[in-house]
Amino acid sequence: MRQNNMLAMILAGGRGTRLEALTKKIAKPAVYYGGKYRIIDFPLSNCANSNINVVGVLTQYESVLLNSYSAAGSRWGLDARDSGVFVLPPREKDGAAFDVYRGTADAISQNIDFIDSHSPDYVLILSGDHIYKMDYSKMLSYHRQSNADATIAVLPVPMKEASRFGIMNTNEEGQIVEFEEKPEHPKSNLASMGIYIFDWKQLRKMLVADMDNPDSNHDFGKDIIPTMLNDGKRLFAYQFKGYWKDVGTIDSLWEANMDLLSKNNELDLNDASWKIYTEDVATVPQYIGKNADVDNSYINQGCIVDGKVKNSVLFTSVKVAKDACVEDAVLMPNVEIGEGATVHRVIIAQGVKVDPGAVVGDPNSEHIELVSKRVR
Amino acid sequence: MCNAFGIVNFAGLNVKIKGLQDYRPAGAISFLGRYRLIDFPISNLSNSGVNHIQVHIKDKPRSLIEHLGTGRHYNINSKRGKLHILPAKSDVESEFYNHDIACYMYNMRAIEQVSYPYVILVPSHMIYRMDFADLLDRHIESGADITMVYQSVDNAKEAYTDCDVLNLNKQKGVLSIEKNRGNYKTRNISLETYVLSKELFMDLVKQAANTSSLYWFRDIVNDQCSELDIRAVSHRGFFACINDFKSYFEANMSLLDYDKAMDLFDDEWLIYTRTNDSCPTQYYPTSKVQNSFVSNGCTIEGTVENCVIGRGCTLKKGSVIKNCVISPGVTIGEDVHIENVVVDKNARVSRKKELIGEPGNPMYVKRDDLI
Repeated sequence: MRQNNMLAMILAGGRGTRLEALTKKIAKPAVYYGGKYRIIDFPLSNCANSNINVVGVLTQYESVLLNSYSAAGSRWGLDARDSGVFVLPPREKDGAAFDVYRGTADAISQNIDFIDSHSPDYVLILSGDHIYKMDYSKMLSYHRQSNADATIAVLPVPMKEASRFGIMNTNEEGQIVEFEEKPEHPKSNLASMGIYIFDWKQLRKMLVADMDNPDSNHDFGKDIIPTMLNDGKRLFAYQFKGYWKDVGTIDSLWEANMDLLSKNNELDLNDASWKIYTEDVATVPQYIGKNADVDNSYINQGCIVDGKVKNSVLFTSVKVAKDACVEDAVLMPNVEIGEGATVHRVIIAQGVKVDPGAVVGDPNSEHIELVSKRVR
Repeated sequence: MCNAFGIVNFAGLNVKIKGLQDYRPAGAISFLGRYRLIDFPISNLSNSGVNHIQVHIKDKPRSLIEHLGTGRHYNINSKRGKLHILPAKSDVESEFYNHDIACYMYNMRAIEQVSYPYVILVPSHMIYRMDFADLLDRHIESGADITMVYQSVDNAKEAYTDCDVLNLNKQKGVLSIEKNRGNYKTRNISLETYVLSKELFMDLVKQAANTSSLYWFRDIVNDQCSELDIRAVSHRGFFACINDFKSYFEANMSLLDYDKAMDLFDDEWLIYTRTNDSCPTQYYPTSKVQNSFVSNGCTIEGTVENCVIGRGCTLKKGSVIKNCVISPGVTIGEDVHIENVVVDKNARVSRKKELIGEPGNPMYVKRDDLI
């Protein structure tokens, strides 16, 4: 079932330090989001829905869970013949020193042999920690139409925030004329989403050169893209419309979950034509009890709710006991809220118990609190 | 590992589930929002370590075959295990000849080729939790020819019509199998679950076929009660026999009693089903939900009380849904009030604003219906 000759590589090695205890034992792409998903479900499902057959997942930081999770290709329908999810942590090779991935570009360089073995025409580079729905096959059509050497997906951001991003300055045809990393005085508001399509042969040459360059950071944004522009290559910006979030902090992870509560939210996870696939868990449906009061919330299977839940996202098998009050909260799988406890403006990590009567979080807090230990 | 293979039988002629069964076999009927009835016997077998499971099917197999698929979701070993769908003969003259014996005879080669020495025969329309590995151990230890399972009930006058009843002696030996005609309150209802050696099973099937062209497996077992050592084991805990529309409705409703539900469901004994990759359920500010089981993928803006809601249902603003069993994919429109209704898959109720069934005698809305 060969659909298009593009192979995807998902960069999933980052820790996401600002997510504090959530990424102590797992890498950021494995962090939970949206009631039942992990962040990496989004790029993987996008690949599957875009008819990409072969996906490499580059892992490094705390990769045990992420490796086994991603490798189950059947979850995403990436298990047909000539199809698969290949987990690629750094490995020892014949004739080369065993080393970590030194940067985003180096992670690809160290897997040139893997990509060659599938002989793709195009390689799609993705980040494993972004939340969005995107049809990469449309981006590939654009790449072919514009006869580009590389295509970079960009997202219009508010002008006043543009200095936080890598900004692409383009001409009328959409060709990139300049790339500025976090510019003080941005000339455009088109932010790079860290999604690239390259012609494999060209990229391969550049990666080989980059590997031995002692001055390089081995990074796509810092090295490969600027070099291509300097060499006068045809780089095009592909404008993406829709929901896109990079959840770097506890506050932004919380916000991204809250975004799902608004009616007709842009991400629309209920869209049957572009499903996001994830691990299948065998639990009973959610049970909403006799004393429950559920208001404006997003609740997954296996939950047992007998208290008050408002403006919250409840993951698999969360328990909220009678007279407990949960507001503006994100409760990750198997969290238990005891009788009479009150919970405000928090993210509670997987499996944490809040004892009866305990008070967690503050309704007037500026920031969102992360609760990762039992609350007595 | 369990030294037996499983056979999931189709429902007998005594099972008549109004409406729902017109579209699908009993085993494929939706239950508690996210399951189908057949998930329970197959999960029991799979959790008991039974690796080879045959599902015998006859009419209207489409939804059942789609649901069972490769069987991967039942946690059956993909190489050493097997979920084998065995269709009955298709050209039978009359429904009366289309019984389990005919199906077993037709598929005898597939039964013969199984390498396990014992068979565990289970029905597709009953819901209970049971470890068949324990049952097989008991069967082998006792030295009995056949071990059957029953549940003692005290409402056999008003329920379990035409279900098999076991008459037992004091040592739990089976004296005879008869039909429940509602003459007694307390009866031992057969769970239509049999453990026996494969050899004896095949002998009995052939004997049944030679005795009468209308014999079901239970008939030949009944004939053999005096010849063979047939013993019964009592099952305790949640049990539901879905043999008519009323029992279907009541079985769903009874699980809203949370303690009862937890008697059936156990964290160590998972019930598997086919995933639909639906997102979590969305409760909007106008929603009010109490004492209900709700599946994933729903959007709820209305009031829901004492209900079972299937996957992917839309319950719009101002709707009031009480004591209902709503199958997957149903839409209940704005300001629609429904009470004591079973709504079948993908139906939409919007123009008619009130549908109220009697308590104990629920209404039925057909599949894909537009009201």
